[in-house]
Amino acid sequence: MREPPVDATPEKLRHAPLTRRGHSFSDFQVGQVYEHHWGRTLTETDNVLFTSLTLHFNPLYFNAETARRRGQDRCPLNPLLILGTAVSLSVEDLSEASEAFLGLDDVRFLKPLYGGDTLSARSTVLEARPSSSRPGQGVVSWLTEGFDQRGELVLSFRRANLFQLEP
Amino acid sequence: MAAYFEDFSPGTMMRHPRGKTVSELDNVLLCNLMLNTADGHFNADSASRTSFGRPMVFGGVITALVVGLASEDTAEEALAELALDSVRFRRPVFHGDTLYAVTEVLEASPRGELAQPAGEVRFHHWGLNQTGEIVFECERTVLVAKRPTGTQP
Repeated sequence: MREPPVDATPEKLRHAPLTRRGHSFSDFQVGQVYEHHWGRTLTETDNVLFTSLTLHFNPLYFNAETARRRGQDRCPLNPLLILGTAVSLSVEDLSEASEAFLGLDDVRFLKPLYGGDTLSARSTVLEARPSSSRPGQGVVSWLTEGFDQRGELVLSFRRANLFQLEP
Repeated sequence: MAAYFEDFSPGTMMRHPRGKTVSELDNVLLCNLMLNTADGHFNADSASRTSFGRPMVFGGVITALVVGLASEDTAEEALAELALDSVRFRRPVFHGDTLYAVTEVLEASPRGELAQPAGEVRFHHWGLNQTGEIVFECERTVLVAKRPTGTQP
């Protein structure tokens, strides 16, 4: 086994260059498109865990017989899981360096997903403006769209976050 | 009692009976599970140097919990979640805070062209914390099954 460099002191490690993540207010140009990283194959385990932990008591999401009676072959994924994952996939590109998540508008669940389906996300910058009520801060909003593995649109929403104007 | 489409009338208010204390486990597990990379939700050390001084609960978790707390009364017989509108995070939520949900029925419209008899119900949800402050609001539209024929309300 190779020995670590003898001069790797905590002091020296503190001065290693920091990998930066996230974008600041001035990085966002209206119309700019981000194709977000990774994608996520959502499993039935994810679905049951999420639905149980959030007390979502619609048996459509955790009882296969109920799902069949309601016209589905099996339990669809909880749409709140799809929404949270689509937002999460966009965080590094859009909001990791922001101050606060302000809200969502026009969230539309357009197509059900099932365990084993893969969600990917893309966002377009809609607006980047200084805040009228908070000096030194700005609001950025995006349109985010989530797609399945066939490229079909699964959900879409607008999101707004608060940023410092000068990072 | 299951809530079918016919049970919803505009103007009805509902205070949902259960609350949930948002534990660190809830927030961190769900954030990490969904691949939220913002460590303000799961790094207590860096969060100690922000204005709030501690990790904040992810809005996606707050939304899901408030909808979850309202779900038995609003979606036990739902066929699909259709939409969320005007979702607003009014105040930060921290590990250890307790969420409660209150709902107003805004609108109930029958839909004719579906394989299963159903209608759209639009709700306004409020999320409150343990001191009664409004931390969250949204409107939500759900497709709810009509009461099967031959069953009693």
